[in-house]
Amino acid sequence: MKRYFRLYLHFLQFSFSKAMEFRLDFTFRIIMDFIYYVVNILLFKVLFLHTNLIGGWTEEQMMIFIASYLLVDAINMTIVATNLWWFPAYINRGDLDYYLIRPVSPLFFLSLREFSANSFMNVVLAGTFFIYSIASYSEPFTLFQLMGLFALLINGFFIYYCIQMLMVIPVFWTQSPRGFIDLFYSLGIAMERPDRIFKGWLRVLFTVILPFALIASYPAKFFIEGLEAIDLLHIASVSIGLGLLLFFIWKKALRSYSSASS
Amino acid sequence: MIKVTNLSKTFISHTKEPGLKGSLKALIKREKKSKLALKSVDLEIQQGEIIGLIGANGAGKTTLVKILSGIVHPTSGEATVLGFKPWERHNEYRRQMSLIMGQKAQVWWDLPAMDSFILLKEIYQIPEKIFTDNVEFLAETLMVKNHLTTQVRKLSLGERMKIELMAALLHRPKVIFLDEPTIGLDLSAQRAVREFIKSYQKEFKPITILTSHYMEDIKELCPRIVIMKEGEFVYDGTLSQIQRLLGEEKSLSVTTKEKKFTISVPRSELSKKTAELFSTNEVLDLNIQDPSIEDIIESIMRNGMTNR
Repeated sequence: MKRYFRLYLHFLQFSFSKAMEFRLDFTFRIIMDFIYYVVNILLFKVLFLHTNLIGGWTEEQMMIFIASYLLVDAINMTIVATNLWWFPAYINRGDLDYYLIRPVSPLFFLSLREFSANSFMNVVLAGTFFIYSIASYSEPFTLFQLMGLFALLINGFFIYYCIQMLMVIPVFWTQSPRGFIDLFYSLGIAMERPDRIFKGWLRVLFTVILPFALIASYPAKFFIEGLEAIDLLHIASVSIGLGLLLFFIWKKALRSYSSASS
Repeated sequence: MIKVTNLSKTFISHTKEPGLKGSLKALIKREKKSKLALKSVDLEIQQGEIIGLIGANGAGKTTLVKILSGIVHPTSGEATVLGFKPWERHNEYRRQMSLIMGQKAQVWWDLPAMDSFILLKEIYQIPEKIFTDNVEFLAETLMVKNHLTTQVRKLSLGERMKIELMAALLHRPKVIFLDEPTIGLDLSAQRAVREFIKSYQKEFKPITILTSHYMEDIKELCPRIVIMKEGEFVYDGTLSQIQRLLGEEKSLSVTTKEKKFTISVPRSELSKKTAELFSTNEVLDLNIQDPSIEDIIESIMRNGMTNR
């Protein structure tokens, strides 16, 4: 564990050294992401001009939810997104070869090798918005609620990572991941909606099969109105299930890896 | 030691006819094509030995190297390297093994080599003192001391290959797979890499499997060669043995009015064959010589041992 932590510190160091070489890209990305955040917040602000509640939440409760998914998204963009973007190329070009011969988990290497230092400012922006939305929340809350929100958001990031990985791993067999990745982006929007709006089979889809609703909506719900023990059990079992599924599919994918010819 | 028994590997791919019609057809029904890349091969290599694995493109050399380094699983058969099944990817095995692919970089492209080495130090858990000594020794032997702090992408191809060699040898592996380490290098860089491999082998005595298309590499480095053809071993023995074995032949370079060609003829049939050539062709020039090692190997790669 300590070794992996030290390795990750090296990845961080390398990524910052690289990012600083490309200053224009560094600035441009920050501006683009800042616009994305403002648009997200404004969208809901406009909706609240016409209604008092969305998915059962008031405007300030909604801001906590928005801040939650923006924070998970920013962490994802910074820590894993770049790596997963390159994943299909690594598999198809046979670059995975060098990861497989090292005495370290190749999944760790492939998922975390590139820390997107350019996106790091987004974490700061999203984090600031998150703190602001909590600080300006008018209802009283306990430290337990706050810690629970944090823990569930970290778990939400894990769920988000697992879903993304499960969408790119088919590239071992299909060569092109486009279909699955497009599906991920189309359905991923569900993360940005309160889970209460999903009924029937859509609810099963977004809370069990592709559990986008567990990423930010359930954690926000825990903070705002509390969750039943059965809901917490649901989050735990779906997270463990996803983790195990990823582990087995990854093992199977490595077995069928044929590398690229030289 | 490396022990390979009955090792086979089949790759499955899909075929597609050209054009849009072919694409539509492939969308509905795909034809599977299987390619037997390795056909029941057996091999034994002792510690300290260096062997040259040679063959035409697609003969199965890289497939064998990838199975032995644990990158791909075999379809059937057994192989153990230092007592481990490579494709089970035990960390203990991976710590003692190294692979260098001449066509693929392993060091961080945008960073100075030294940064990649420090990362490798963590990966292989190399103690500080050993790491410093190894970097010092390798950089000195390969003459790249001045390039360790330069971004890798700014180095020449030859310098990059030396950095790749350093990266692969920092943890003092007991087994080394060198897949075309001199590919694309100019003559002096090729020579430098060869000299280095030779002295490293002499000093540290790892098991080394070298694949190369350059005969100079093989002649200089490998007392033992394995020739592959269509997934099979057609020759496994020493270089000197192959020369002796085939030294009973003569190489005839013939120039006629129509074409130029070279044929191998058993010494005993030399006069008969020469007379035949003169009677059936208008021979302008004829040169009789002992076949070069390159000719012999090329002939085996093309025709196998028995059908030559």
